[in-house]
Amino acid sequence: MSGNGLTVPDVRRCLECGRCSYICPVSHMTDEFSPRKVAEQFVLEGKLRNDRGLWQCMSCGACTEFCQSEVRFHEYLQAKRRELRETFKAEDNHGGAPGSMMRLTANKSVHTKKDNWVTPDLKLDLDSETLLFVGCTPYFDVMFRYLRDDLLEIPRAAVKLLNASGIRPRLLEGERCCGHDAYWLGDEDLFDRLAGLNLDAIEKAGVKEVVAFCPECYSTLKQVYPRRFGPLGFEVRSVAEVIGEKIKEGELELKREEEKVTYHDPCRLGRHARVFEAPRDILDACGDLVEMPRNREMAACCGNAAFVNCNGSTRLWQLDRLREARESGASRLVTACPKCLIHLSCAEGQNVQMIKGEKMTVVDLHVLAASRIKRV
Amino acid sequence: MHPAGDPDSTASLDQPPGCCPSAWRPRIIAFCCNWCAYAGADLAGVSRRQYSPEVKILRVMCSGRVSPGMVLRSFASGADGIIVLGCHPGDCHYQIGNRYTEKSVDQVRELLDLAGIDDSRLRLEWISASEGEKFGRIIDEFTRTVRALGPLEAPE
Repeated sequence: MSGNGLTVPDVRRCLECGRCSYICPVSHMTDEFSPRKVAEQFVLEGKLRNDRGLWQCMSCGACTEFCQSEVRFHEYLQAKRRELRETFKAEDNHGGAPGSMMRLTANKSVHTKKDNWVTPDLKLDLDSETLLFVGCTPYFDVMFRYLRDDLLEIPRAAVKLLNASGIRPRLLEGERCCGHDAYWLGDEDLFDRLAGLNLDAIEKAGVKEVVAFCPECYSTLKQVYPRRFGPLGFEVRSVAEVIGEKIKEGELELKREEEKVTYHDPCRLGRHARVFEAPRDILDACGDLVEMPRNREMAACCGNAAFVNCNGSTRLWQLDRLREARESGASRLVTACPKCLIHLSCAEGQNVQMIKGEKMTVVDLHVLAASRIKRV
Repeated sequence: MHPAGDPDSTASLDQPPGCCPSAWRPRIIAFCCNWCAYAGADLAGVSRRQYSPEVKILRVMCSGRVSPGMVLRSFASGADGIIVLGCHPGDCHYQIGNRYTEKSVDQVRELLDLAGIDDSRLRLEWISASEGEKFGRIIDEFTRTVRALGPLEAPE
């Protein structure tokens, strides 16, 4: 316990069985990293040999899922990053733009305006008890428009789905980034500032429930905020959970079409927040869901979590996932996370361009479901 | 004392009364391309054209090298204003480098807008190697703009 509400999981329970290294996406593709190796260096040598041990991990949580000694390696490494981030620096991707946006908005004096995507057909209610947390998707739309020009469709689709199930959400005035990247990169100060500003704003709004379509916002709000700041005065649910429930209760009907789709579990929604079935309920209502061999707890990561250290092994991993999706016989690969969508689209774009591979379209769960809403 | 080294010499740059503590001086970064803008700055220097001392010039080979990440990172690290200076369209040493600059700057403008930051803190101008006078004028103008806007991050 480091005295600030964040624990340092004990890695000395490790039995060196190697299950983590078998499942870890990074150690599949490069010899330079494995959870077991990193844990061993920390325990036996008291320090890391190089920065790869610190930054190659995508904190997807697969190692923790399969550890039989209950070592929570991805959280252990997060704690180590808090200590060592000044010694071994992470390599920022995209010129450090996503991280800089996070830092720029972590100040009381700036007033963010992230509602540029709202169109007149979306029904919002300023007095609603449900708040939609938008997250960084509007920023990603600007930064990654060259990869996907439809990223703003995701928040729009989320509102459409909520509207169709009788919920008129409100948006958070002065919403900041949830702090996910800062947290997993071990930048406690930045995370605390962002989370503090968000919590103040949510409290001021006085809502009962916060829904998020981005799995990172969802898992951060739901799991990290209470761990750091104590119980929250509101509930946190993902849009997928809300919609999945409404479909089960029969309050929302989606048009079924003869189309085979496969679902890529985002690590934050699946292994971190344990939402496996709700997205599948939604997809079952949309078309035929075929599973890839690695699904649910076994799901493969999209290759990057916090826009650092994207490299050759990341790319191999993404291409492997896309191949798996193609072999499942599905015509489209569905994911529920804007970052998975960006990363897999990036790999797919290069795959089609360079290897002349068969194209696998990647689509967001919310966008797919919203396109199938039955008009009453 | 040489005027450029005298903190009082900037008093003429119209600091609005009560906007910020008088000791505050904006931190401004000017990205200058090696072939035109930097030579323009050099000409301003050799012709003894005095301009605001708050500006820190960073030379890049081409203004197209200035990525959105570089600009955002400068803002996040404490810059109050950023000006990107390149060759006039058509005069780029690398043919189309400054077209990339325009795109990048537009992208950052959009991001600043989302973050609620006044986009006049970012300016793009074309300066040729013979425009020393224009360089000085634009830097003075921009400094005045940023001064009027105050510090980017209000002290907490």
